[in-house]
This record gives sequence, structure tokens and C-alpha cells, in this order.
Amino acid sequence: MFEAASTSTCQTGPDCTAERCRWRCAVDVIDELLRQPGAVTGEEMDQLLEFRWQLGQATAAEATLRLFSALRIGMERRHYLAFFRIRRWLENHIVSVCRSADGAHEQRVPVRLDHYCVEAVRRVSLCAGLSRPDRVAGTRIEFEFQNWPVVAAAPRASALALVG
Amino acid sequence: MSTTKTATTAKKDTRLIEALNLSLGNAYALMGLTHLAHWNVEGPDFFPLHKAFQEQYETLFEAVDEIAERVRALDAYAIGGLSTLAKVAGIEEFKAPMSQKDYVAALIVAHEKVVDDGVSTRDLAGSLSDLQTQDLMIKQIQWHEKTLWMLKSYLKG
Repeated sequence: MFEAASTSTCQTGPDCTAERCRWRCAVDVIDELLRQPGAVTGEEMDQLLEFRWQLGQATAAEATLRLFSALRIGMERRHYLAFFRIRRWLENHIVSVCRSADGAHEQRVPVRLDHYCVEAVRRVSLCAGLSRPDRVAGTRIEFEFQNWPVVAAAPRASALALVG
Repeated sequence: MSTTKTATTAKKDTRLIEALNLSLGNAYALMGLTHLAHWNVEGPDFFPLHKAFQEQYETLFEAVDEIAERVRALDAYAIGGLSTLAKVAGIEEFKAPMSQKDYVAALIVAHEKVVDDGVSTRDLAGSLSDLQTQDLMIKQIQWHEKTLWMLKSYLKG
């Protein structure tokens, strides 16, 4: 129905600023969670700070997804909207790269985080990225950050300041 | 008397017309998405959500008309046509089917965008002393904020 709107996903690249992000930048959402008194346990706080740091580095997409999945399983019931925003944001900034065994074929597909475990996400990406079903045996899936935004995560020290 | 003067000022300001047309596009896009959620929502909360979404898209239908008629009252033309409205609004379409909670969360994000733009339109109208447009936008924002409260309450774990 609204085709033009459907193609305009989260702002990325030079246009990606906190003010323009429809889903709010994941780092901002984490900061909001950390600011809310009693919203997270001590262990969750540690994991959120680690997740925030990984987003700032933007070098280990799979580790970031694994940490997100762990946090999501534990916290989503209490903070559904926050995790919805982070999920949508990650879907706009992480891509699955499907490579054939011989390296001759490569396809990048958007990551879909409908599942709670990374292996399931990988399987969905594999199905979406396979150009030919008979190539499944040798195909590898890697996750990569794409169009990493200009707005980088603040240093860990300033995140810690949020939680007092 | 002063109303006539302020209306003249507002009529000459294309920024206000653009802002109102943005609000029109937003309301129309959100109405379409709420309708989509009304049709496709599934699960144990189907009946209350189906009914709530219907009430919301019906209210948005009235809002669309009021905003468009305000544009005409300012001697300008309202935008129309699905692709034009969608392009102006820039509200992301759902990837249906989704879970009940995802429909609600996605609608929250869309309502928030509508409120943000509505606040800008309200303030612009205020700066131009166009109290009628300002009043219209205040009414719209109030309804969106109330809807946001209800939708967010649903998501509370």
C-alpha cells in the first residue's frame, strides 16, 4: 500500500543521526534502560554495557547478535518496546553475507531477528540468501555491520556515568 | 478582526502548508498501517486488539479529513494519492505477519513520529499566530499521546 515508505528504512550512512533515527539508535535505547531506576539487574547492567561497547566497536557482528539474543531472552518480557527498537535497529545495520564454498558467489541479505537464537537467524539467512538450493552444503553465513552510522557509542566510562 | 490578519499571515507561509500536508501524510499512512494491524493481528488478544485498532483507524480517518480541510481553509491544496502520501509521511511499512506485540510496538513507533512532526506543526502555527491550526494540532497530539499511553500499557510485562 505504501510502497515508497517501505523502502525507506532506518537512516544509515552519513544521514544516520540520533535525531533522525526512527527506531532511535540502539545505544540511546540502552542508555534509557540504564537510566531507569530498578529497570535492570546488576548482571543485566554488565551485559548491557558490554553490548553497548560492542555496538560502538562495530567489528564483531555475530558476537553482538549473540549478546543481543541473550539479553533479549532475559529482558524482553519486561522491556518489550526497548528490545523491539533495538531489534529493528540491528536489522537495519547488520547484514548476513552468504558465501559459496568456492567463494565464487556472495549474496548479502538483510538479517531478520524474528528468532531468539543466532543459529535460527543464521538458518533463515541461509534460506533467504541461497540462489540455488543444491548449494546449501558448502554455503557459509557471516554477519557483518553495514553502513555503520556516524553516531558512535560514547566511551564506556560515560555509559557508566549514566548508571551513577 | 485579528483572526483575519493572522489567517492572512499563515496563508502566505508555505512552511505551514508543507507542515500540515506532512501531518496529513502521516495520519493517512498511520491509518493504513493501523488498518493492516486490525486485519492481520492474531493470537489470544485478537478480539481486544482488533477492536482497539478499528477505533484508532476510524479516529485517524476523521483526522485526515480535518487536516486536509484546514489546508483548504488556508487557500492551499491538500496532497493526495497513496504514493504521494506515503512518500511525504516516511512511516515505515510493517513486515506482516507479525506477533501481536510487534504490531503494537510498530504502531507506537509510528505514533511517536506523528507526534514529533505534529509538535513542529503546532509550534510553527503558534509562531504565525494561526490559533486555529495550532488548536487542531493540539487536539491531534493529545489523541496520539493518549493512544501511545494505551499501546505502551499493553506492552508492559
